[in-house]
Amino acid sequence: MSSTGKATIFASRATTALKGVMGVLAAFAAWEVVRQTGFIDKRDLPAVIEVMEAAYSGLVHGDISSALLETLQSWISGLALATVIGIAGGLALALLPGLELATRPILEFLRPIPSVALIPVALLVLGIGTSMQLFMISFAAVWPVLFSTKAGVESIDPRFLETGRVLGFNRAERVMRILLPASLPYIATGIRTAAAIALVLAITVEMLTGRPGIGFYIENVRLNGLTAEMWGGILVTGIFGYLVNALFVGIERFTLPWSPENRDA
Amino acid sequence: MSQPLLSMEGVSKAYSADAQILRDVTFKQGSNEFLAIVGPSGCGKTTMLRCISALMSPDSGSVFHEGQSFDDPPPWLSIVFQDYNRSLFPWLSVRRNVEQGLRDVARSERDDRVSEALTAVKLDHAADLYPWQLSGGMQQRCALARSIVTAPRLLLLDEPFASVDAQTRIDLQDLVMDICERMSLSALLVTHDIDEAVFMADKVVVLSTRPATVVEEIPIDLPRPRDQLTTKETPEFLSLRHKVYTLVRQQAQ
Amino acid sequence: MPRDIRLRALFWQTATVLFLLALWQWSAVTHPAPYLPPLKPVALAYLSLLKPGNFMDTVFPSLSRLAIGFGLAVVLGTVLGTALGYLRRLDPWIRPVLEYLRFVPTVAILPAALLLFGATDTMRIFVIAFGSVFPVLLAAIDGARRGNALLLDVARILKFSLAEKLFRVVLPGALPSIFAGVRIALSIGLVMMVISELIAANDGLGFYILRNQRLFQTANVYAGVLMLGTIGLILTLGLLSIEKRVLAWHRGWRGLSDARS
Ligand SMILES: Nc1ncnc2c1ncn2[C@@H]1O[C@H](COP(=O)(O)OP(=O)(O)O)[C@@H](O)[C@H]1O
Ligand SMILES: [Mg+2]
Repeated sequence: MSSTGKATIFASRATTALKGVMGVLAAFAAWEVVRQTGFIDKRDLPAVIEVMEAAYSGLVHGDISSALLETLQSWISGLALATVIGIAGGLALALLPGLELATRPILEFLRPIPSVALIPVALLVLGIGTSMQLFMISFAAVWPVLFSTKAGVESIDPRFLETGRVLGFNRAERVMRILLPASLPYIATGIRTAAAIALVLAITVEMLTGRPGIGFYIENVRLNGLTAEMWGGILVTGIFGYLVNALFVGIERFTLPWSPENRDA
Repeated sequence: MSQPLLSMEGVSKAYSADAQILRDVTFKQGSNEFLAIVGPSGCGKTTMLRCISALMSPDSGSVFHEGQSFDDPPPWLSIVFQDYNRSLFPWLSVRRNVEQGLRDVARSERDDRVSEALTAVKLDHAADLYPWQLSGGMQQRCALARSIVTAPRLLLLDEPFASVDAQTRIDLQDLVMDICERMSLSALLVTHDIDEAVFMADKVVVLSTRPATVVEEIPIDLPRPRDQLTTKETPEFLSLRHKVYTLVRQQAQ
Repeated sequence: MPRDIRLRALFWQTATVLFLLALWQWSAVTHPAPYLPPLKPVALAYLSLLKPGNFMDTVFPSLSRLAIGFGLAVVLGTVLGTALGYLRRLDPWIRPVLEYLRFVPTVAILPAALLLFGATDTMRIFVIAFGSVFPVLLAAIDGARRGNALLLDVARILKFSLAEKLFRVVLPGALPSIFAGVRIALSIGLVMMVISELIAANDGLGFYILRNQRLFQTANVYAGVLMLGTIGLILTLGLLSIEKRVLAWHRGWRGLSDARS
């Protein structure tokens, strides 16, 4: 490509970025307008700059960052557990049609139950503690992994498997070398969805049971009337949620360049 | 007043600096004239129709409809697009698709006119079917019905028969000629099929390869009504066909 | 599916369900524990939730808040998304803000909603709507943007007004995408409904479940969860049947292109 072409592309990227920044500024302005109209008590809706200050100092002085770290820990362990169980379960359902058929009504009934409704049940059975938190996060996050793994395996062209047979793979090798890699794009999408759900559950459990973490932080500063800190916590949580998704998209791009989702360009 | 129905004056169009599509296209179409434009695939015929219908404005030059220029499609103009399976509303039945042109017309009159248009294209039996239930030829007839139901004066046809089978193509050619005759419609048919152009038109405009410009206008004075068998066997038809073919072949070199 | 295979499937499905129920009952009887009530009280509690009085106190408040919040989200998301998707040039302006908002874990705004609206129905409806609007909005933008441009040319030739273009061309074309968003939104809406009742309410199913958990009325807790499952299932099936009707044309097209390719 010619250097003028590159310059044009750079210029158009720059205008796009500029428009985006203007959009963000417009959102801040809208916030300020709502504040000024007085529909909402100004103390409940602090100025954008105060919220940012609270977020920044929370991150630097450790309140928010340590809470975030706690959430990160339970989120990662719950998600890891959900991923392992989800992939194993999805493979089992896809490879054993009898199992899938027999358990279908149960799965179809369990799936639409809003997982947070099980928090009280989990409290009864497991009490307040790490195991309960882990159970809730992974229970909620397991479904997308499970069903996308199943869909991934079912989408595989049977010719792949015949090729494996011709190459003399045994059953375990066929699963590890053909089924899993070929369904990875599906599984990756499932894990990305699961990551968002797991985060919601981690935060909810913290809010409801007072376990340390960003959810507890936000609820706690609200109860103490620290509104700027509360909004700051929400702001940071949003950025965290965004980064989590970006991380997974990045990993997928990097490790699965052949996946159909990465070929859109 | 004897302004031509349509007049293109020095129309040029480029999608980008290094992709000139139309260069100085000039021709006229009179009232009740059936004009055919032939040019190789990709030479810019669809682009030209989009300029004519004011869906797009030319970079330079002008398009006049009876001496006036338009920023929006003139109300008396209709188009049958090349891509029939994308130009019908897939969520509406055939009847509702055709109705879309008559949204301001009173219910009873609208029903009558829709039925009339559907009968004209021989699609009355399929009025309640959806586009996906129709064959390619039927979809194109539905698009044709939608175009004529508004009683236009100028009908633009963008390679309307390009992707249907040979028999359907012949039927559609006869149907379009018949409709234009009966409704005294002027038609502008874009095609890459030379036989079709010579057989249907009163005048054939030959375009060059990209960037497209008018190479020659050839009047076709074959008598009407024309017949797929007898007209195509007359020496006049064959010599006109020969002439157009030679011009088009020269362009390809 | 042939008849005998379907019968066999039904047999095994029933057998599995019965086996699990029997297992539950057996453990409840042999290893009595507060969190493991026998089946009968759970069933009775479930049925009593359906009695008009209980229904109006417990199930109805949840359902009505869900209906309003989710309904608002669907309408707002669809209308705004269709317009924003059609006005492509606006996209670079709003994209970063939208991309940020969509990834905010929805529960995080719960304390803020409590602060602004107090423990009111407005708060609960707001959280439900906030949670479920983004999937619909983004799906509508996406569907409207990827719509068929040729149909917009047809609309111009046929002299459609801007509103007609939006509602008769862009919106129907975006509906397949919108329905996919609405399905996701429904599950998020259910989750937000329950959370908002767990954290601050004095009626509704979430409140019922939480109160009975505190009172160790475990049969009632399970009955509440079962009721939520029932609601989720019914709403999902309802949505699917609406989708099946509204998008019949789309399945027709797709079926055709699948058959061709
Ligand atoms: N929107 C567009 N942007 C850039 N190039 C285009 C666009 N539409 C068409 N072209 C190019 O312009 C040329 C002429 O296109 P078209 O008018 O559709 O030709 P025809 O109808 O004669 O086949 C083609 O090479 C096509 O690739
Ligand atoms: Mg073309």
